[in-house]
Amino acid sequence: MEIGLNHYLVLSTILFAIGLVGVMKRKNLLLLFFATEILLNAVNIAFAAISHYYGDLTGQMFAFFVIAIAASEVAVGLGLLIVWFKRHGTIDLDLMTSMKG
Amino acid sequence: MEKYLYIALFAPFVSSLFSALFTATPKKLFTGIIASLLIFTSLVSSTILLIYLFKGGEPIHVEMMTWMATGDLYIPFGFLVDQVSVTMMMVVTLVSTVVHVYAIGYMDHDKGFNRFFSWLSAFVFSMMILVMSDNYAGLFIGWEGVGLCSWGLIGFWFHKESASWAANEAFIMNRIADLGMLIGIFLIYWNTGTLQYDGAFAAFHTLDPTTLTWIGIFLFIGAMGKSAQFPLHTWLADAMEGPTPVSALIHAATMVTAGVYLVIRSNELYSLIPDVGLFIASLGTFVALFAASMALVNRDMKRIIAYSTLSQLGYMFAAAGLGAYWVALFHLMAHAFFKALLFLGAGNVMHAMHDELDPFKMGGLKKVMKWTWIMMTIASLALAGIFPFAGFFSKDTILEAAFADHHYVIYGVLLFTAGLTAFYSFRLVALIFHGEERYKLFGIHPHEAYRFMLVAMSPLLLFAIIAGVFQEPFFHMVEELLRAHEYHIHSHTTLWIMLLGTQIFVGLAILYAYKKYARSGIKVPDGTSATENSFIYKLLINQYYIPYFYEEYIIRPYRELSAVFWQKIDIKIVDATVDGIAGIIYSTGEKTRTMQSGNLSTMLKWMVVGLVVLLSLAVIFGVTVRYSDGAASALSGLGVM
Amino acid sequence: MLDHILSILIFFPAIAAVFGFAVQKDSMRAYGVAVSAIEFALALFLWYAFDNSVSGMQFMEHLPLVPAFGINYTLGVDGISVFIIILAAFFTLLGIGSLTDTPNVKYMIITLLFLQMTMAGVFAALDAIVFYVFWELSLVPMLYIIGAWGGPLRIYASIKFFLYTFAGSLVMLVGMLFMAYFYYQATGYWSFALLDWYRLVLPETFQLWLFVAFFFGFAIKVPMFPFHTWLPYAHGQAPTIGSVILAAILLKMGTYAFVRFSLPLFPDAAAYFMMPIAILAIIMVIYTAMVAYAQKDIKQVVAYSSISHMGIIILGTFALNVEGISGSIFLMLGHGVVAGALFLLVGVIYDRRHTKLMSEFGGLAHVMPRYATIFGIMMMASVGLPLTINFVGEFLSLLGFYQQSHILTLLAGTGIIVGAIYMLAAYKKAFFGDVTNEKNKNLPDINKRELFGLIPLVIVAIWLGVYPKPVLGPINKSVESIVQLMHNKSQTELAKSRIPDLTKEKVVVIKKTVIEEEVH
Repeated sequence: MEIGLNHYLVLSTILFAIGLVGVMKRKNLLLLFFATEILLNAVNIAFAAISHYYGDLTGQMFAFFVIAIAASEVAVGLGLLIVWFKRHGTIDLDLMTSMKG
Repeated sequence: MEKYLYIALFAPFVSSLFSALFTATPKKLFTGIIASLLIFTSLVSSTILLIYLFKGGEPIHVEMMTWMATGDLYIPFGFLVDQVSVTMMMVVTLVSTVVHVYAIGYMDHDKGFNRFFSWLSAFVFSMMILVMSDNYAGLFIGWEGVGLCSWGLIGFWFHKESASWAANEAFIMNRIADLGMLIGIFLIYWNTGTLQYDGAFAAFHTLDPTTLTWIGIFLFIGAMGKSAQFPLHTWLADAMEGPTPVSALIHAATMVTAGVYLVIRSNELYSLIPDVGLFIASLGTFVALFAASMALVNRDMKRIIAYSTLSQLGYMFAAAGLGAYWVALFHLMAHAFFKALLFLGAGNVMHAMHDELDPFKMGGLKKVMKWTWIMMTIASLALAGIFPFAGFFSKDTILEAAFADHHYVIYGVLLFTAGLTAFYSFRLVALIFHGEERYKLFGIHPHEAYRFMLVAMSPLLLFAIIAGVFQEPFFHMVEELLRAHEYHIHSHTTLWIMLLGTQIFVGLAILYAYKKYARSGIKVPDGTSATENSFIYKLLINQYYIPYFYEEYIIRPYRELSAVFWQKIDIKIVDATVDGIAGIIYSTGEKTRTMQSGNLSTMLKWMVVGLVVLLSLAVIFGVTVRYSDGAASALSGLGVM
Repeated sequence: MLDHILSILIFFPAIAAVFGFAVQKDSMRAYGVAVSAIEFALALFLWYAFDNSVSGMQFMEHLPLVPAFGINYTLGVDGISVFIIILAAFFTLLGIGSLTDTPNVKYMIITLLFLQMTMAGVFAALDAIVFYVFWELSLVPMLYIIGAWGGPLRIYASIKFFLYTFAGSLVMLVGMLFMAYFYYQATGYWSFALLDWYRLVLPETFQLWLFVAFFFGFAIKVPMFPFHTWLPYAHGQAPTIGSVILAAILLKMGTYAFVRFSLPLFPDAAAYFMMPIAILAIIMVIYTAMVAYAQKDIKQVVAYSSISHMGIIILGTFALNVEGISGSIFLMLGHGVVAGALFLLVGVIYDRRHTKLMSEFGGLAHVMPRYATIFGIMMMASVGLPLTINFVGEFLSLLGFYQQSHILTLLAGTGIIVGAIYMLAAYKKAFFGDVTNEKNKNLPDINKRELFGLIPLVIVAIWLGVYPKPVLGPINKSVESIVQLMHNKSQTELAKSRIPDLTKEKVVVIKKTVIEEEVH
C-alpha cells in the first residue's frame, strides 16, 4: 500500500485532535504549551503533505513560517511563564483568573 | 340688515367678555346692568330682523370668514337669518334679557355675581351661534358651546359636590349624543360634499334612502342628548342643581330645545325619511308620558318643573316627527315663555323659602307672594293648555296634527299626558300657594321678591297669556320655509268635541289637583302612608330606577374596568412584558458572564465550541446554497451574495 | 441668510449652548431666554419668509458628507414641518422663560438648548442619515433631563426611555440601510436623500417589510399601544420642563415621521396596514383614556391623555386622504400646545405643594381662581371643544378616517366621550368642592413667571381654534402633494382605492331640482 495524501491528512487530523484535547484538558501551563506545539505541528504536516501533492512550495514555506512563529511564541511564552512562577509560585491554570469578567 | 345680524350675534359675546374681566373681583352691580343692556341690544336687533323678515324680506345670509378649509372641505363662519332662525333668536334673546335682569336680583348676595353674568352671556352667545349658523359645523360650535356654558352654570356653586357632579353628568351625557351628531356630520360631508345647509339639503334629494336614514338617525341622537330624550334624560333633572335663572334660561327655554331646532332645521332631511320621523314622534310621545309620570309624585319643586319641561319637549318631538315642523316650533316658542316664567316664579319661592325645595313644606304662600302666585298660576294654566293662554294654541295644534294624520295612539297618549300635566302643575301650585301655612313649622319668614324682578318677569307673563294670537301670523311667516300646512279635521263636530273634550278633561284634572292638595291638613310625607309604600309610587319617585341602573351598571363597571385596565393590564401585562424582555436580556447576560471566568482552560473550551458551531454553520450554509435555488435567490435579493 | 436659515436655526442654539458654559451662573437665565428668544424670532422669520403657495420643499440646503454612499447634509421644510419647527422654538422659549428654580439651572438651560438643536434638526432633515442622527441625538438631552433632575425613580425611567426608543430606532436604521440599498440596486448609485427615495417605487412585499421596520422606530416614539409604557414613567419622573418638551415636541417626531417616511415611501404597505394600525390607534384612544381615568396622580392623567390623543393623530394620518392627514398634522400642533400647557399647569401646583396626587387637593378654584381658569380653558381645549385648537385637528382627523371606515370612526369617536370623562373627573377632584386640606388654604395664585409660559399658549390655543387658516393652508398644500404622490406610486388595487386621486375631476352632484326646472 502506498502512503498517499489522505494518510498524511488523517495523521494530521489525529494529531490536531490530540492537541485540541490537550489544550482543553491540561491544567498546567507548561503542558498547555506542549499541546499548542502539537496543534501547530499537525497543521505543519498537512501543509507539507498538500504542498507535495500539488507540487507547490507555498505550503512548505508556510510550514517554515509556522515553525518560526512557534519558536518565538515559546520563547516569549516561557519567559512570561517563568515570571509568573516567580511571582505566584504556581503555574496552575485554575488559579490564573485575574481576567474574570 | 347685516349690521343687525352682527349686533344680535356679538352683543352677548361682548357682554360675556366684559363680565369676565371682573370675575376675580367682588360683586359689581354694573356688570349685571351692562350685561343686561347688551343682551337687550341683541333683543332689539333680533326684533328688527324679525320685523324685516315678517314683512317679507329675503333671508339674510352672510359669510364672515373661513374657519376650516382643507381638501374638499370648506367650512366658513357663515350666518343665516331666515324665518326659523329669527324665531329662535327672538325666543333666546327675549328670555335671556328677562333672565339677566331677574338674575341681578336673584344673585344679589352671591360671591360669584360677575362670574355668573359672564357665563350666562357666553351661553347666549353660543346659543345665537347655534341658531344662526348656516352650516352643520357652525351649529356644532354652538352646540358644544352651550354644553360648556351649561357645565359652567350647573356647576356654578362648585363647592357643592352634587352641583359639580351634576355638571359633569350633563356634559358627559351630552358628549355621548354629540358623538352621534358628529357622525351625522361626517356622513353628510362624505355624501354631499358640503356642510352648508343649502348645499346639503339640495343634495339630500339625490341620496339613497338608507344613507338618509342613517344621517337622520345620527343627527337625532345628537338631538336626543341636548333635548334630554330617553335614555339620555337623567341629566336634566340633576341639572336643577344650578341657580334657578339658569334653569329657566338653559334647561327650560333655550338649550334643551336645541334638539328640536335641529330636527326642524333639517326638515328637508326628515321629510324624506318618514320612518325615522315616526320613530322620533313615538319616542317624543313616550317621553311626554314618561316624564309626566315622574313629575306626579316628585317632591322637589324644580325637578317637577324640569320633568314637565322634558314632557313638553316630548310634545315638540312628536310634532316635529310627524312633519308638523311649524307646530313644533310654535310650541317651542310658547313653551319657552311660560316655562321660563314658571321657573322664575319658582326662583322667587325659593328665595322666599331660603332655598327650600319641598312644596310640602310650603303652603299658603299666596298671602305673602301675591304676584308670584298670579304669575305661576297663569304659567301653569298656559302649560296645562287652558284657553285662551299660550299653551292652548300650541298644544292643541299638536293634538290636532296627530289626529289629522291618523296617529290615534300618539294622539291618545298625548291627550292623556295633557291631563297629567294639568294635574301635576296644579298640584305644585296648590301645595305652594294654597292650604295651610306649613312653612311656619320650620320657622321661615317668606317675603315677596324685589319689585324689579317681578317687572322683569312681566314680558314673559304677557306672552304666556297672548302668544296664541301670533299663531296665524307665525304660520304665514314660516309657511314657505317649513312647507307648513294647517291641519283640518273635516268634520266640525269632531273638532268641537275634541276641543271641548280636551278642555273639560284638563279642567277636571286641575280641579282634582286642587281638591286633593289645596285642602288643609296636608302633612309633610314621612314615608309611612300607604301611597308612599305602593310599588308605583316607589317606581316613580326613584325615576324608574334608571339613575340607579346607570350608576350600578354603567358608571361603576366603567370605574372598575378602568382600574383593572391600569393595574392589571397596563402594569401587569403590557409593562411587565417590556420589563420582562429587558429582564431576560439582562439575566442572560448575568448568566453568560460566568463564561468569562478568567480561567484559561474554560475559555479555551468555549473557543473550541464556537469553532465547531461556526464550522458546522459554514458547511450547512454551503450545502444549502449548492442544492437549493430558492435559498440562493433569496440571499441574492437581500444583497448577501 | 435665507439660504442658510435652517442651518442657523439648528446650530445657533447648539453654539450658544457651548458658549453657555462660560456664562456666569446668575446671568444664565437671562442668557437662556435671550438665546431662545432669538431662536424663536428666527423661526418666526422662517414663517414670514415661507412661501405659502409652494407645496414642495423650501429653503433647501445641500452639503455632501459622504458622497460615495450618497449621504448628504440636506435640509428643507415644507408646510408639514415648518410649523413644528416653529412650535419647538416656541416651547423652548416658554420653557426656559418659565423655568422654575431648579438646582444647576445653568446646565439645565444648556441641555435645553442642545435639545432645541436636535428638534429643529429632526424636522428639517431631508436625508435619512441626518434625520437618524438628530433623532438619536434628541434622546441624549432628554435622558439627561430626566436622569439628572427627575423624581425618585429617575434612573429607571430615563434608562427605560432611552433603551426602549433606542431599540426601536435601530430597527428603523436597518430599514433605512435597506432602503438605500434598494435605491442603489435600482439606479446604480447610493442615496439617502428622502426626495430621491420618494421617486422609488418598490414591490409590495419589500414595502411591507420595510414599513414594519420603520413602524417599530416610529411607533415606540409616538408611543403607540402596546409600546407606550415608557411614557408614563418618563412623564412621572421628569421635571416639568422635561414633560413639557417631551409631550409637546418629542412625541411628534414619531407621528411626523409616519407622514414623512412611511406614507410616501410605502403607499401600498400603508394601505395594507391601515386597518390593523387603525385598530391599534382605537385601542390607544379608548384604553388609555380609561387608564387615565383610573389615575390618582394628576400628571399621570395628562400623560395618559397624551397617548390617547396621539391615537387620534395616528388615525388621521392613516386616513390616507387630505382631510385626515392635514387634520392629524394640525392636531400634532394642537396637542403640542395643549399638552405642553397642561404639563406646565401641573408643574405650577407641584411647585407649591410638592405632590401631584389629586386626593391632596380639592377646592383649588377657591384659592387659585386664575389658575383654575387657565386650567379650565386648557382642559376644555384638551377635551376638544370647538373653537379651540384641538377641535380642528380632531374633527378633521376623524372626518378623514370616516371615509375609510364608518364603524372604526364611531369607535374612535368615543374618544371624545371618554376624554371628557377623565378630564372632567380630574378637574372636579382637584378644583371643585371645598378646600379640605389645610395646606391648600393659603396657596398663592399663579405668578408672573408662570403666566409668561401660559398666557401665550392660551392665546395660541384659541387663536388657531378660531382661525386655523394661516397654518392649515400651507399644511393642506403640502399634504395634497403627498397624497397625490402616494396615489401615483401606489400599485395595488387596495391602495388605489384607499388613496384618493386629487387630479381626477370631481363628480359634480347634479341637483335634481335644477334638472326639473329646466324640463318645465
